[in-house]
Amino acid sequence: MHAERRWAAVILLAFAGLALVPLAVHRDDTLNLIFLILLSVTLAQSWNIIAGYAGQVNLGHAAFFGLGALVTRTLWIGGTPVLVAMAAGALVAMAFALAIGVAAFRLRGAYFAIGTLALGEILRITTGNVFAQISTLPAAAIAGYRLTLRYYLALVLAALAVVVVAALATSRLGLGITATREDEDAAEASGVNALGLKLTALVTSAALAGLAGGLFAYYHISYYPQHPFSPHWTFDALLITYIGGVGTLHGPVLGAVFYVFLAEYLATRWVDLHLLIFGALFIVIVLLLPGGLVEAGERLRRLMRPRLRR
Amino acid sequence: MIILSQQLVLGFMIGGLYGLAAVGLSLIFGVLKVLNVAHGELIMLGGYGAYWLFALLGFDPFASLLLVLPLSLLLGLGLYWALFGFVVRADEETRIKNSLLIGFGLALALQALAVKLWTADERGITTPYAGTVLIVGDLAIPLVRLASLAVAFALIAALHLLLTRWRWGRAIRATAEDWQAALLTGIDVRRAYLLAFALGTGLAGAAGTLVSVGYSISPSIGLEWTLKSLIVVVLAGLGSTFGTFVGGLLLGVAEAASAAAFGGPYREVVGLVIIFAVLVARPQGLFGAR
Amino acid sequence: MLLEILGLHAAYGDVPALSGVALSVEAGEIVALLGPNGAGKTTLLKAIAGLLRPRAGTILWEGEDLGRVPSHLIVERGLAMVPEGRRLFGSMTVEENLTLGAFAARARSAQDANLERVYALFPILRERRRQIVRLLSGGQQQMVSVGRALMSSPRLLMLDEPSLGLAPLMVQAILDVLVEINRGGVAVFLVEQNVRAALTLAHRAYILETGRIVGEGGGAELLQDPHVRRAYLGPLAAPEYFVL
Repeated sequence: MHAERRWAAVILLAFAGLALVPLAVHRDDTLNLIFLILLSVTLAQSWNIIAGYAGQVNLGHAAFFGLGALVTRTLWIGGTPVLVAMAAGALVAMAFALAIGVAAFRLRGAYFAIGTLALGEILRITTGNVFAQISTLPAAAIAGYRLTLRYYLALVLAALAVVVVAALATSRLGLGITATREDEDAAEASGVNALGLKLTALVTSAALAGLAGGLFAYYHISYYPQHPFSPHWTFDALLITYIGGVGTLHGPVLGAVFYVFLAEYLATRWVDLHLLIFGALFIVIVLLLPGGLVEAGERLRRLMRPRLRR
Repeated sequence: MIILSQQLVLGFMIGGLYGLAAVGLSLIFGVLKVLNVAHGELIMLGGYGAYWLFALLGFDPFASLLLVLPLSLLLGLGLYWALFGFVVRADEETRIKNSLLIGFGLALALQALAVKLWTADERGITTPYAGTVLIVGDLAIPLVRLASLAVAFALIAALHLLLTRWRWGRAIRATAEDWQAALLTGIDVRRAYLLAFALGTGLAGAAGTLVSVGYSISPSIGLEWTLKSLIVVVLAGLGSTFGTFVGGLLLGVAEAASAAAFGGPYREVVGLVIIFAVLVARPQGLFGAR
Repeated sequence: MLLEILGLHAAYGDVPALSGVALSVEAGEIVALLGPNGAGKTTLLKAIAGLLRPRAGTILWEGEDLGRVPSHLIVERGLAMVPEGRRLFGSMTVEENLTLGAFAARARSAQDANLERVYALFPILRERRRQIVRLLSGGQQQMVSVGRALMSSPRLLMLDEPSLGLAPLMVQAILDVLVEINRGGVAVFLVEQNVRAALTLAHRAYILETGRIVGEGGGAELLQDPHVRRAYLGPLAAPEYFVL
């Protein structure tokens, strides 16, 4: 518990540091990179809540991201202030989570994963048909586009995600959720309302993912409305969370930094291979190092400890 | 009406390939309790195998099955030996979860590899007889697709024979039912796993070959075919080879009907709705034993 | 000595199941293992069959340490098990189940001969040989299970609660078959809850309680033993007193 609080403090401190970056650095590509990391952190943490802490591998996660993006974009372009639009996006995502959650949670394990994947795809295809045209910002919005605004919004959102996960992990609610993850039947027998907890986790996860989607909609100048529904957003969240350390607070943050930097580095040298490397890395992690970078770090620390005489 | 029956026939024919693809996945899942979500990528690789044998060496795709099948079997052996053989050491629930994750990593890696090697372009095999069409009443049936359907069925029938007449085929079925009882009967369960995985992968490769000749392939078709296979496996349930094939045909026809009723883009949706509904309402599927 | 078990300890996690169990089975014998539920009888059989790794102790089969033999090769050595609850391959036919029993190399050449022998022992299985096993009655399933084990030409047949869930007439039939099998030279190691029936049948028996052997002796001798009578053969323990 205390580890979570300590890490939250460290991360928020780091974020505070990032807040100062736009004052010193005026290069768009740096700000864009950090933006990408922050967006990834938010999305990964949102997935971490349902998959890491609640133990339910949701492969349709992009649906929440996409809904948040769709609602935000539509409302914002229509004149609604962006923060209100984003809130609305999150609410719609949460409503969707609640609506499908009851049915979806009748499935366990791999079947939940497959079922949610199917649901996510249904949403993507339907959106792609109903909103087939590319969504482009009106000229006025493009002219008034300020990256630093979006940068700070991303920072706030990532901080929010970290705080939410920390609060969840250290609360009674979080205890119930992890108990359900470990052994749902045993938890039920101890009086835990497993379905209620899983739904809570799913809705919270959807809220954060929906906000992340809203941020996406606010950030990009033009994209196809079905793009944020694409399963590759789910897979990104999955990769980042697992590589970093699923079920921990700082795992997704480490994972996001690692992932974005590695992708950027590989994109310049070995185009197209970054996915191959991530795929292979992922397999290695699942087989040998399921705790991801967090576990790697802890093993290193344990290796070094005997050398420190106290 | 003319257009509808034409659509349904076309749906029926691709349904045969769905069935073939699904049987491979069903075999692996039923026996090893492992969900290889890179199954679609294995189909994709089979397709590229056939494509390059055609493009570089001029092999007729139906003939190149004789090469692609054994190569896919070997690939299956290799994948089991290097990866999935480790997954089966855990209990069933952990196996499914781990195979899901590992399969995902494998799918990612294979797709990226395919893009790197062969570009993201769509490919298809156009044989000299590709344009031949059988006219039956009001229906125009492309010969190539009909042949693919026939080959798919033949492969399924061959698998059925293998699983019933071959000693190890029966051992594979026994392992699927109760691996501990299989051990007690003297069956080397690890070898049964290996064989089942190799067979499943072999069927995937064969399916890929048929896809490349009647339809088209690209590095990104993996997810789509994995999903189709999953839908059919869930729809038909485990345990019946021919049942799974019929499930594939049903999916193909359902897709065609859906496209005719709601428009082309919604073709894919019906399968996804089916899988979700079946999982929630009748998890053992139409023909499943459990 | 066909089977010899020395100082066997087994556990499930932290829960001990067997503590220092020692017993033996000679060629041609019928040996019974009796005891209440949860005593560890199934655990012992699982350990012998290679489905469970013991924490300590040795299992010797004709002098060879079975602990080093992979589970699927136990049958190859000549031990066959009829597990609790039959554990048949439900969607396969009677004949398919039986022929799978002859999967081991040692039994392959004798497959047809053994099949004939099993059908001779259980004529009804010959009639039903193409029937899916899941659809058979409990007694018939038990016959298939015993038959499957016999198909491997075993020297020792181990049975875990063969009478469980069977009607008394059926139980007697199975036990009669065991006598006949034994007369043919196969040793039998029988774990049974039906103490009276088992002791009537067995040459020797062991009593297992909470993981320890607490008694051993000849079948007839134990039938008269006061502890056995009180614990297992009194009015509350004898199944024939329940008329339902």
